[in-house]
Amino acid sequence: MSFKDILNSGKFVVTAEVGPPKGTDIKEMIHHIELLKGKVDALNVTDNQSAVMRICSMAVCRICLDHGVEPILQMTCRDRNRIGLQSDLLGANILNIKNVLCMTGDHVLAGDHKQAKPVYDLESVQLLSVVNSLNNGKDMSGNDLKGSTDFFQGAVVTPEANPLEPQLIKFEKKVRAGAKFFQSQAIYDINKFKEFMQYARKFPVKVLAGIVVLKSAGMANFINNNVPGIRVPQELIDELKAAGKDKALDTGLNIAARHIKQLKEENICDGVHIMAIGMEDKVPIIMERAGLL
Amino acid sequence: MIITKKREVQELMENIKNYKSFFLIGCSECASLCGTGNQEAIDALTEALKAEGKDVTGGFVPKTGCQVLGTKVELKPFKEALDKSDCILVMSCGAGTQAAVEIFEDKPVYPTNDSLFLGNMTRFQMFDERCSLCGKCILDKTGGICPVTACPKGILNGPCGGCKDGKCEVSPDIKCAWVRIYERMKRLDKLQELCDTVLEAKDWSQNIKPRTLATRPEKKEEKKK
Repeated sequence: MSFKDILNSGKFVVTAEVGPPKGTDIKEMIHHIELLKGKVDALNVTDNQSAVMRICSMAVCRICLDHGVEPILQMTCRDRNRIGLQSDLLGANILNIKNVLCMTGDHVLAGDHKQAKPVYDLESVQLLSVVNSLNNGKDMSGNDLKGSTDFFQGAVVTPEANPLEPQLIKFEKKVRAGAKFFQSQAIYDINKFKEFMQYARKFPVKVLAGIVVLKSAGMANFINNNVPGIRVPQELIDELKAAGKDKALDTGLNIAARHIKQLKEENICDGVHIMAIGMEDKVPIIMERAGLL
Repeated sequence: MIITKKREVQELMENIKNYKSFFLIGCSECASLCGTGNQEAIDALTEALKAEGKDVTGGFVPKTGCQVLGTKVELKPFKEALDKSDCILVMSCGAGTQAAVEIFEDKPVYPTNDSLFLGNMTRFQMFDERCSLCGKCILDKTGGICPVTACPKGILNGPCGGCKDGKCEVSPDIKCAWVRIYERMKRLDKLQELCDTVLEAKDWSQNIKPRTLATRPEKKEEKKK
């Protein structure tokens, strides 16, 4: 069953992430893909994440398919204009890549090529409309396609953004532009996320809660001070601190598993998106502890 | 106005090392407000050039340095000093420099400034960029705040995930353009309009360079009047 069908079947889905490396040595990446094969329902492949130049998302998506894992093509608007984006979408589709996550993309100033010219000819809402249009057999200029695409398109949302209302207005624009599923920024406060889901349930979209493993109290504090739209509650920081240096990571895995379990058991959302950020080997452990394997 | 910034003396000197005598042209409009092309700036550069052993044959602040014909007329009384110089230095924007290039076909013309952006003066000689001259104004849809300019990504439909406590991911010194637009629309009781408006991708064909515009009426019509 495809990711789309699984999601629409009502099963609690799990997606994880693979970050393409910088360079052509893909042994470790393939190891991670193999490790997650048969466990997750789909794998996001990041698009030059944090504006750091790496292997392109499309090539790695195809490699995921070759290894029997369904990919979600992350596509940002930072590096390609509307011609490049549409052309790559058509290319991805004929390579059997059927899921696309539309994002605006971190600014080039966040990455390792700060002198690059940022493109942003389109942004996330417009890219979603473009995917919708390609699915309906037309390009952005209204020209007929010889064969339309059949993408299942999604977008991202930040449920704990501050201020929240402008983000929600944008969320609704993404829904209207054709987003079928959302993967959220990392969430740590389940009660707050429940409030967001009460709102999001009004729309005909599937929502996957973002899960990022906390490795230590230090990491949690760093996130609170530096990462937009994520807030780790103090009690979790205390829990990590109490675990001590040796047990902090294990506690972080437990927190992630506990959250996933609660999200599933209380039917809060439609699935989770686990961002392991270099700890792909820990994803099966989290899933096991959450009772998903 | 066009915001200009004075180049470092070293960079300027490297560019003009093969020339001996100079005529300096400022501008009484933007470059004067920026302090890069007024009489004081001309006097200061004259001193600096002399200190490097160069000659300055003269200097002048035209009313509008980017206006080709007007500047040409204003410079007529300086013919002798201009003839004596072997290089023209223009102390305004790139448009002013290229006006001089058009006027002085046989003389080298060099800029002393870098042209930065179309700016608003917020306080004395403090400038910020609010308009990108994109060719198709959307201020009517965005509460009068331009996201093409105020958002480093030029996003047209709301804040990105990088907005942190109302600040931009690119710099904590920048307030998120879309939070500003949201707050203003809210103040004007126009949030519904903000929700309902999805801006389509911009038509960048309006921005293909070089752009020209002719708005003066036909001469025949002038005669009729």
